Amino acid sequence: MTITPDSIVYWQWGDFALNATIVFTWLVMALLTLGSWLVTRGLSEDPKLSRWQNLLEVLVVGIRNQIAQVSHQQPGPYLPFVGTLFLFIAMANLLNVIPGYMAPTGSLSTTTALAICVFVAVPVFGIASKGAGEYLQHYIKPTPLMLPFNVIGEVSRTVALAVRLYGNIMSGTVIVAILLSLTPYFFPVVMQLLGLLTGMIQAYIFAILAMVYIASATSAHEHGESDEHQHNTPSEP
Amino acid sequence: MEINWITVSAQVVNFLILVWLLKHFLYQPVIRAMDRRDQKIRNRMDEADSREQEALREKQSYQQKLASFEKEREELLEETRQEARQTRSQMIDQAREETARVRSHWMREVSEEKTAFIDGLRHQSLEVVETVIRKALQDLADERLEERIAHTFIRKLHELDEETREALGRSSEPATIATSFELDPGQRSTLTRAIHELVGADLAVNYTQVPELICGVELTCESQRISWNLSDYLEELTASVEKAFEPLETTEPGA
Repeated sequence: MTITPDSIVYWQWGDFALNATIVFTWLVMALLTLGSWLVTRGLSEDPKLSRWQNLLEVLVVGIRNQIAQVSHQQPGPYLPFVGTLFLFIAMANLLNVIPGYMAPTGSLSTTTALAICVFVAVPVFGIASKGAGEYLQHYIKPTPLMLPFNVIGEVSRTVALAVRLYGNIMSGTVIVAILLSLTPYFFPVVMQLLGLLTGMIQAYIFAILAMVYIASATSAHEHGESDEHQHNTPSEP
Repeated sequence: MEINWITVSAQVVNFLILVWLLKHFLYQPVIRAMDRRDQKIRNRMDEADSREQEALREKQSYQQKLASFEKEREELLEETRQEARQTRSQMIDQAREETARVRSHWMREVSEEKTAFIDGLRHQSLEVVETVIRKALQDLADERLEERIAHTFIRKLHELDEETREALGRSSEPATIATSFELDPGQRSTLTRAIHELVGADLAVNYTQVPELICGVELTCESQRISWNLSDYLEELTASVEKAFEPLETTEPGA
């Protein structure tokens, strides 16, 4: 039984292996990009619009509103990063219903890559909005004694981000695989539906947590810290 | 649970590419379209607002115009009504005048006719009375009656006031005594004597006979005239008859 799509290798060139993770990631990317392009090339600026444009607008507006709610800032700069996190994870998990498809998010490599992106994006956004000095100062607040704990916290939450997503998606796949051998026909379908729900929730959690981390780095320290706690506690599965 | 670091780096690159792709193919166009639509809608709302304002203004102006038209119409109507009332009252007055004129004309005619009728009646009745009386008196006339008449005349002469007597005395012309019957000489001298006693002996007296006087005597001298005859009584009778007819004349026009 394959647990991770990393182990399915289609083509090998030296150290580089073209595995299922990368291939299915490209598939998701292609779907998202093509879909967006097809809809947005004929965008209507009149009040009357197509259903697909309406869907995209609802998505974009929804993401913008979520970002604005969490960060209490203009969503503009964060929209591409956070929105793409959500759309990519959601699409990757959604396609799980297709037989033969393996979610790239079920690979720890993918979730680690996404977590690393968040890990890097937090200081990038923080420095961009507050300047390097002020941003780095928050590591030694309230006292310099807290520096190691702050750094550990930063790293551990990134690891948690990666493992949480990977664990949820992988477990879903594994549970369905096990159930298929134990009780075939109907019960796995229910679990598959549950897996879809979990996938969407995980996409939402990942994007929101990323936004919370970025917001805590960009806004005033106390404000951001309280925000992080507020959103962290209930969404931790 | 293993991490393929090459895959990790590939996925990082993939993700960054996806971020770029979606930014260009999804977020920017969609947001731009929404903003433009918002702007368009806002413009339309503004336009609609301004149009509404304009429409309101026009409506108000039309309402004002309408009100002024209405007022003008009302004034014209009132004027016409006034004129009609005036014309009507004028016509009524004219008609009334015309009626009154016709009526008065008719009344006059009626009254003239009545007067003529009454005159005729009076005349005829008087003639009849006169004829009857004349006949009766002529039948009755004898010397005793004539004597009584002369006496009555003499008494009347005695009753004359001072002024008339003096006027008679001053008269240069002779007095004429007219009688309806032939006076015998004795009666004439009695009369002459009585006159002379009253006004003086200078006055000459002539005698004539006038049958129309009906048992009467009349003394005429210059402008003076003293008489006693039945004609006077008949005239009094006529007057009383006319008086008796008067109520008819006065009440009838009003009826």
